[in-house]
Amino acid sequence: MLDAFSRAVVSADSKGAAIGTSDLVALRKYVADANKRIDATLAITQNVSCIAADAVAGMVCENTGMTQPGGNCYPTRRMAACLRDGEIILRYVSYALLAGDPSILDDRCLNGLKETYLALGVPIANAVRAVEIMKIASVAIMTETNTGRKMFEGINSGSGAQCKEIASEAASYFDRVIKAIS
Amino acid sequence: MKSVITTVIASADAAGRFPSMSDIEAVKGSFNRSTARMEAAEKLAAGIDKVTADAIDAVYGKGSYDQANKDKCARDIHHYLRLINYCLVTGGTGPLDEWGIAGMREVIRAQVLPTAAYIEAFTHIRDRVCVPRDMSPQAAAEFKSLLDYLINALS
Repeated sequence: MLDAFSRAVVSADSKGAAIGTSDLVALRKYVADANKRIDATLAITQNVSCIAADAVAGMVCENTGMTQPGGNCYPTRRMAACLRDGEIILRYVSYALLAGDPSILDDRCLNGLKETYLALGVPIANAVRAVEIMKIASVAIMTETNTGRKMFEGINSGSGAQCKEIASEAASYFDRVIKAIS
Repeated sequence: MKSVITTVIASADAAGRFPSMSDIEAVKGSFNRSTARMEAAEKLAAGIDKVTADAIDAVYGKGSYDQANKDKCARDIHHYLRLINYCLVTGGTGPLDEWGIAGMREVIRAQVLPTAAYIEAFTHIRDRVCVPRDMSPQAAAEFKSLLDYLINALS
């Protein structure tokens, strides 16, 4: 498992060079943006149930057969498994976002996930759709473009508009999930 | 690779929970010191060859030694300084532990290396760090504590 700092170390070590000024530019930016990164991580962790539930509900609404007998979200036990997976994916995305590196997501969540879903008969297209909705919801909360309560009103970095860059980094981790399972 | 962030995440993952406020505080705490650490890393990277040469001169003095022997010693000191540079960046002793200290005793014994010479070299480097000529006081403190850590492991 790596973070932004140890990633720089591993790549410098492969060249046998010390980490100098040019490599430190990105890391200094990481530290300078730490509050935004923390806010963005909190945007996920404080809205987990909401994001996962909305995503699964959205997926079902678009494919109403799923909750009917014979559908993949029938009975509730299987729908619950779906919600649980949504939360697990959000948890690993929040780790990756905090670390600033996707290796934890790759190693501990995505490695073998597609094979597991295929073996369990999970419809991949629907799973992808649920992750897409989670991505949209997370980005909306981070950038305060969501309807309803605004995440950063009056705290830390202040405005969701400043979190655009970090939100697109978060979106890239969701895209990684989609790529891994499709 | 161990750093403050990966340690925090690994323990959160072991418990299956999201990063908590205390996890985030721990990460923030490491950011507070990172400015000094990165300054030390930057200065060390810029002067790593000079620092190595200086330490070698101090250890070998005016005596006549085999140049090949001296070169190997310089290579090792340069290697350890590079690992210290990595530790300064990650904010933990992970790189030194994993790439420098693990197996070090066995190698030193097998090659019959004089650890006293290394200790003298790193002690010299530690004592030569000049504030504020070389780096700021906090940066020097971070650098020196890692040199002490290495000296302790070599002792």
